[in-house]
Amino acid sequence: LFSLSTPFIIIFLFSFFFFELGEIVVNEVNFVRKCISAESSQEDLWGKLICTNFKVSFILQDAPPKQKSHLSHLLLGEHDIPLTCLEQVVTVNDTRGKKKVLGSNQKLKFNPTELILYCKDLRILRFCFDEAGPESAKKVCLAIAHYSHPADLHLLFGFEYQGRRYHESKVNGSTPRGGLRTPIFDRPSDWDREIKRTSASGWRVCSAIYDGRCSLPEYIVVPVSLADQDLKRYSIFFTDQRLPLWCWNHPNGSALVRMASISDPVQQRKIEQRVFTAITKSHPQRSDVFKSDLDKCLPNIQDIQSSFVKVRHICVIDPFEESEERWLSSIETSRWLEHVRAFLKHSAEIVYCLDGKNASVILQEEEDRDLNCVVSSLVQLMLDPQYRSLTGFQSLVQKEWVMAGHRFLDRCNHLKKNDKEESPLFMLFLDCVWQMMNQYPAAFEFTETYLTVLSDSMWIPLFSTFLFNSPKQRAQHLIDFAKNKAIPAGEDQAVYFPPVWDWSQQFSTKDQTLFNNPMYVGKGAACVQNGEVKTFTRTKRNYSSSVRATPSSLRNGLKGGEETLTRRGSLLSELKPDFSPVKVESPSERFFRDLFSQPADQRGLLIPLLMPSHVALWKLYFLRWVPEACIPKGGPITAFHKLSQLVDEIEILQSQLRQYKGPSPGSTPLPSPGGPPVNQRRMYFKASPQNDPPTPPDFLTSSFPFTPMGNLCRRSIHGTPISKFLNGARIWLSTETLANDTV
Amino acid sequence: MEKQAGAAGAADCAGPNRKPWGSVTCGPVVAGDSLDSPTGSHVEWCKQLIAATISSQISGSVPPDIMNRDNKNLPGLRYGAQVRAFPNQVPLLPGETVQTTVKDVMYICPFSGLVSGTLTITDYKLYFSSVDRETPFILDVNLGAISRLETISVPTQGENTKGLELVCKDMRSPRFAYKTEESHPDVVDALAKHTFPLSHNLPLFAFLYKEQFPVDGWKVYDPVAEYRRQGLPNESWAISKMNSTYELCDTYPSILVIPTNIADEDIKRVALFRAKHRIPVLSWIHPESQATIVRCSQPLVGPSDRRCKEDERFLQIIMDANAQSHKLTIFDARQGSVAVTNKAKDGGYESESFYPNVEMNFLDIPNIHVMRESLRKMKDVVYPTIDEAHWHSAIDQTHWLEYIRLLLAGAAKVADKLESGKTSVVVHCSDGWDRTAQLTSLAMLMLDSYYRTLRGFQVLVEKEWISFGHKFAARVGHGDENHANSERSPLFIQFIDCVWQMTRQFPAAFEFNELFLITVLDHLYSCLFGTFLYNSEEERAAEEVQTKSVSLWSYINSQPEDFTNPFYVDYEHHVLYPLVSSRHLELWTSYYARWNPRMRPQVPVHQTLKELLFLRAELQRRVEELQKETSSHSLSSSSHSPSPTHTTGTPLHSAV
Repeated sequence: LFSLSTPFIIIFLFSFFFFELGEIVVNEVNFVRKCISAESSQEDLWGKLICTNFKVSFILQDAPPKQKSHLSHLLLGEHDIPLTCLEQVVTVNDTRGKKKVLGSNQKLKFNPTELILYCKDLRILRFCFDEAGPESAKKVCLAIAHYSHPADLHLLFGFEYQGRRYHESKVNGSTPRGGLRTPIFDRPSDWDREIKRTSASGWRVCSAIYDGRCSLPEYIVVPVSLADQDLKRYSIFFTDQRLPLWCWNHPNGSALVRMASISDPVQQRKIEQRVFTAITKSHPQRSDVFKSDLDKCLPNIQDIQSSFVKVRHICVIDPFEESEERWLSSIETSRWLEHVRAFLKHSAEIVYCLDGKNASVILQEEEDRDLNCVVSSLVQLMLDPQYRSLTGFQSLVQKEWVMAGHRFLDRCNHLKKNDKEESPLFMLFLDCVWQMMNQYPAAFEFTETYLTVLSDSMWIPLFSTFLFNSPKQRAQHLIDFAKNKAIPAGEDQAVYFPPVWDWSQQFSTKDQTLFNNPMYVGKGAACVQNGEVKTFTRTKRNYSSSVRATPSSLRNGLKGGEETLTRRGSLLSELKPDFSPVKVESPSERFFRDLFSQPADQRGLLIPLLMPSHVALWKLYFLRWVPEACIPKGGPITAFHKLSQLVDEIEILQSQLRQYKGPSPGSTPLPSPGGPPVNQRRMYFKASPQNDPPTPPDFLTSSFPFTPMGNLCRRSIHGTPISKFLNGARIWLSTETLANDTV
Repeated sequence: MEKQAGAAGAADCAGPNRKPWGSVTCGPVVAGDSLDSPTGSHVEWCKQLIAATISSQISGSVPPDIMNRDNKNLPGLRYGAQVRAFPNQVPLLPGETVQTTVKDVMYICPFSGLVSGTLTITDYKLYFSSVDRETPFILDVNLGAISRLETISVPTQGENTKGLELVCKDMRSPRFAYKTEESHPDVVDALAKHTFPLSHNLPLFAFLYKEQFPVDGWKVYDPVAEYRRQGLPNESWAISKMNSTYELCDTYPSILVIPTNIADEDIKRVALFRAKHRIPVLSWIHPESQATIVRCSQPLVGPSDRRCKEDERFLQIIMDANAQSHKLTIFDARQGSVAVTNKAKDGGYESESFYPNVEMNFLDIPNIHVMRESLRKMKDVVYPTIDEAHWHSAIDQTHWLEYIRLLLAGAAKVADKLESGKTSVVVHCSDGWDRTAQLTSLAMLMLDSYYRTLRGFQVLVEKEWISFGHKFAARVGHGDENHANSERSPLFIQFIDCVWQMTRQFPAAFEFNELFLITVLDHLYSCLFGTFLYNSEEERAAEEVQTKSVSLWSYINSQPEDFTNPFYVDYEHHVLYPLVSSRHLELWTSYYARWNPRMRPQVPVHQTLKELLFLRAELQRRVEELQKETSSHSLSSSSHSPSPTHTTGTPLHSAV
């Protein structure tokens, strides 16, 4: 076992530094310099570097200057990094020309003069020990390396923290589900509601398969024509018993279904036949079933991982000036955007089957736990505006990722045990969502800040959402956890170990308003129609019509647009081969052409445009920490600022209108004069009094609400570009360093 | 997914609501080319979307003639009526005449295949419309945009079929196939005559165009008023009429700002020492520090390192006019090595040993030929088809964005020298009318928020580009058939691209929108307006451009709402430095790749914001109404009203 001379101190109260419940200081070192800029040390900060069982913390020596922090995390200070967020811990000794990537339980044969922390949220932090005690510096480095490689899942800080938090909050009495509005899909009622909402009458909730051995959730949705006995019989033929699971129903009756591959090749045909028949029976028009094998047509998890590593490298690790030269080519070489396009494109094709061909679709993947998660959730985002609301989106992640058994623990590599299993699939999904958001800015209730914060939350080990590989694993761990922490049996898991969706765990109410998109045109948003100010409410009819309810029969008949296309087809046939730059359109091409020929209904079916020029690098996510890439006073946030103020003003006016008209039946009591109370205002930027001249929001930057200050400090080591250094870190560890180290 | 059409239906839905006069005055871009996309050009498509939003209060079924009556004071109304009465007729601008009509022409659409129809050639445009009445397809190319006409072979279309390709300056090359018959005049001849009127002793169309606009764009720029806005003249700088007859310098404007204490004789000597007599003159003065941007051409140093005492003193006076700094920075846009080789050609640069306290800076921007070549490569990348797999690297290989980066970086250096260094700068290249104009105008855009308004930007273009003799005629080649002329170069396009890059980085800092920038570029070529014609103020005065043609700004300023950015917030004295990094420079696809229907975005953000602005106005109006009602009510009943004290309808709360 790892031994440290410093005794563990349990902290109860620490005036200048916030400690979480159950947090323990492992080791600390004073007189540390945090590097801010690679060029000079003038702006560097002095303080104490602390390693706890939760995070690496840096406490400023002098009281920090009153800085306007835009998004202040309730659990983490400005200079804190959770241990789970560490990608690589690198120690350097400048004078002896040595460097070493530290793993768990390792020895360090030199006194580090510098510590570089590469983080999973793309930050790079650098600490210098030139004034610090060499021994304690070394100990802190080793402690950080050790504690960021937990031997077991239950050692992640969340288990300690949530246990204490539960008992603390018990004193005040907790509300059921912590007031959470997002369905967790851990109970049949959540599924029933979805079945009802999408009119999926051919499907039912089933709990017969759950036996605690496979990765399936307790409740799944299956065709009504299959009895529990059949399901049990069939399930053994599927990898990990993952038989076809219902995801979603189109208003036209087509269903989206996901399943694993059939392990027994002899039985494959027969089983598939039976399953297909059952799914066909669940379709009101008995339409065909279309199967899409994602393993065959999409990049695999290793491809995705390696291209993410590359794009991250280009964005944050490569020296800024060097990568300026052929920036677009480098991005292309990483293939990240190509993968993003591939997933969006494939999802769009599935949408065509469901919506255009009125056919049910089965997404098939070897294990049904990776690519299927991405595609099924993207398809639903494109087809169902409900999932573009904040709660809807969260329920989608819950349904298609968490409950569907995406292996968050392995893919995030929280325990740093198996690098081969690591893959940023959820990140890829978020990037795809961002692409849609970027093209349809009014379609989503939430903002890119929300998506970024959600991706960061993956690296904070306090929420049940991203810690486990399957619902089964979650259940087992949480039962043990409850036992250990003396939590009464029958208590709701979402209460004693909450998911990430309770955002008040991380952010103040005010900061959470950064998640609200002022442009959102969804449910409840006001809009202008024929000069009338109306509030858009989604009735059932509205919903189905917005999802392109044009019956396929009508579309295949001679409707206006179709006619012109056939006509054009006949024109095309006159073409001689060398004169025909285009081939005859396929039905799916026609479908998309038809779709894009209309102005997008951001409350309805949304397909992103997928020419390479339409798919962009998600700058807020990839470049937010890069000081050289930060536009002062600029970036899309400046437009957001104006919009936010405008919407705030509108909401105040609306509130006044209601006030003048008197409370309408069923509405809340009379609002206070001058608009809704401040804490109920949805917009982050409040309207400014009209008589004041606008003052430039100088604090806005393209990185807002994040700050690159001190979060990305590259360093070149003895003429070696840091890129080579980190790129070859592992290789180099086995050759160069070891040679150095054995001296 | 392979074949996504663009927003082809946008026109259909916007059609009934679109402003007929708006689209006709924008004649060169009407292009309702319904096969590529029914809306044709991006500009019109954009406009229609915006128009649809604006006119959303008008119900969709208003017949066009009613709308025409509503807009009686506005020009171009005949369009709607004409089209309704004679659906087959080509819409014409006032003053435009049909020259020839050819039937049975095939348009070879790179996106959708062949379309057969009728080709009409007027003295302003080429207009192709399909014979199929149910699927109207219109392609509209204004002749000014055509760079060269090329016959192409169409081997499979029969013996007497000819092929024609119109290689355009605006990044497209439509191709046609037509039958040749004895009776027909040759299409190419007719087209060539009106495409290159100057080569055929014909007038440019701008002199035939008879549109009347409610606003006179020629009044936008008044140099004296603009210099007064800058606080000039003052004790150090005078507004001089020395060049009123263009004798001092024939490519400079008649009104110049020069230092006060310098004799005319000395100035004449300086003129002899500067290439094309383009002496150092003031372009912009910082309102606080009094540091100035001064522009000129290269000094005629020559191989023997000639000196000119008057020139040296001239720069010394410019430096002394700014009390804040004892230095003067000269930005030479060229590469240092090029400046040296220019000495052999009798040019050169200021030697730091002869000009005390002068700091030389070379900005390393390549010359006009490099830029022309770069844009030519770009055309291959974006038209007609793109290589999806290598899109990004193909853009890199054109180096276009790299040059944009160099320009913005140079301009930012100039601006920073003034703003932070409080030092006056002199900018020149070789002749001081290409890269110099790019740099000074971009720096002024960064420093002075006035130039970021719709009006201010027009002033900037009129001043730094048009009046200071950027050779628009030579660089664009208006009406001239000599397409291979090495004088042609897309310098102004590059400048507008830089502006667009800035609007992308600061979406709330510019009063004008993307449509405005695209419209300016379209009319750079169109020859519809007199604005960009000829090489210098002297030539324009001789041709009486202002009396015989219409200004582009008349068109723009008659409908400013269409060109206004709804995000705009007017922050005064707000200096903006764009972040000059490849990470934030993008290819302007909505301009360069707009002819490809698959490249277009589906939703302009402006739409939502315009709706919100309308919503706010509407709500404000209703709140005011109710306030009035309530207060009259409370007066009569003398009870205390819950109404807030405001009666002006201003927001009733304070910021948090």
